[in-house]
Amino acid sequence: MEEQDYYVIFPNVNEGLKLEKQLKEKKIKYTIVPTPREISKCCGICIKYLFEDEGAVKQAAAEHGIQVSGFHALHKRKK
Amino acid sequence: MADYRALWEILGMDLEKHDVLCAVLPELYGDVYLSQQNRPEGMNYYNFVISEVHGLRIQELENHKEEGGKVVGTFCVFVPDELILAAGAIGVGLCGGSQFWIEDGEKVLPRNICPLVKAFVGAKVSGTCPYFQSCDMLVGETTCDGKKKAWEILDEYVPTYVMDLPQMKRDKDYLKWAEEIEDLKAKLEALTGNQITEEKLAAAIKLCNRKRAALKRLYDARKALNVPISGKDALLISQIAFYDNPERFIEMTNKLCDELEERIEMSKGTAAQKAPRLLITGTPMAIPNWKLHHIIEESGATVVCEETCTGTRYFENPVDESQTDMAGMIKAMADRYLHINCACFTPNDGRVEDIIRYAREYGADGVVYYNLQFCHTYNIEYKAVEKALKEAGIPVLFIETDYSNDDTGQLKTRIEAFLEMLK
Ligand code: SF4
Ligand code: SF4
Repeated sequence: MEEQDYYVIFPNVNEGLKLEKQLKEKKIKYTIVPTPREISKCCGICIKYLFEDEGAVKQAAAEHGIQVSGFHALHKRKK
Repeated sequence: MADYRALWEILGMDLEKHDVLCAVLPELYGDVYLSQQNRPEGMNYYNFVISEVHGLRIQELENHKEEGGKVVGTFCVFVPDELILAAGAIGVGLCGGSQFWIEDGEKVLPRNICPLVKAFVGAKVSGTCPYFQSCDMLVGETTCDGKKKAWEILDEYVPTYVMDLPQMKRDKDYLKWAEEIEDLKAKLEALTGNQITEEKLAAAIKLCNRKRAALKRLYDARKALNVPISGKDALLISQIAFYDNPERFIEMTNKLCDELEERIEMSKGTAAQKAPRLLITGTPMAIPNWKLHHIIEESGATVVCEETCTGTRYFENPVDESQTDMAGMIKAMADRYLHINCACFTPNDGRVEDIIRYAREYGADGVVYYNLQFCHTYNIEYKAVEKALKEAGIPVLFIETDYSNDDTGQLKTRIEAFLEMLK
């Protein structure tokens, strides 16, 4: 099976930073990355997380009313 | 992934072409940066800045302009940021680090000049750099010939003010540089309509010194036996220092340094303990020029220090804060800035001394002399540096290159051979 990376994208940078704050507090591992072009053509931040944390990430967003524009999985790019 | 197109439109950008530039960044950044193991958590801030490089920061500049503020672009570490800030303007270091702009640069410039000059001219004439587009005025300087003549071209697009930088360091040159700083002060006051008072200038000097101190703290962490941060991450932070909001940058860089210092205590490094440590010296590396660091670190070595303008030359030596009157502060700035050792000066013995001192301080096993193609002053100065390093018993490798990827394979081979020799 090919490995995948998981991303959450936002309507604007502030929502992304709000989610970052929550993830940090909850000690959920994440990385801020430039939005991959396969997901969206608009540049800006998105947050990459681990698959096993997906539930927790969704919950953190829901709990604090943080707007997200979608969750995406992409095949890991081969180097 | 906010939609910044409306903002770019206001700035008069070539949206279609700009999109081509935007398209390469996520992948390039992913390959060079996000593939690293063991990265400090604090690097998330710089990931954020890069992701928003044409977004949030540009929005912040636009908001500042809507409130009547001005944005001033600079190209050289000799131009004092303190004055720009004291005039209530925002300063941005205009990077020309991408191969993307070379083609447009070559439309108006001869091909056989430095890629940095071609890239920044290309960025302006193609209307694809939102930082350039945001600038109300550019401040150039009389350093190398390429830049000196490029101002005349840029001036056709945006008002470009030129500071006459002396190329020697005699007492009269210090006096002259103080006068040039005085003239820039008047120019900035006229541009912004704000008077640069003693209070404002003193505050700006303190702010810039705090930024220098944060960078110095970062570089000091790299002296550790287990280097807690990769060279390319440190380079990225230096590059970001040129255009980020200074207060936010200082806060986040100090936070990162807390983490790095913890890592040092726990002996948690980013590379293998025995990885060779390299010092890079030479010409500046503007975003997204990560080429050399990437090749070196992919080959198993660690870059521990940059004696460049996107390195030590930017943050070493604070401005003396004890001066309280205008003349004293201007003299303190002139003294600090003219102390920078750039190859545009003759003689430039100070640089050779700096390199040897840094090589020892940072525990470098070898030095890589980085020369952008067609940069004559640095190229010629190599001989003197090589001789001094040889006498000091420090191995050195000379690399001349541009922004293209054509020579990546060849550079990799040469660097690997050099590393082999250091073992
Ligand atoms: S290398 Fe010299 S001319 Fe170029 S930015 Fe640095 S100080 Fe300025
Ligand atoms: S690298 Fe050399 S040639 Fe290029 S702008 Fe700087 S001083 Fe000029």
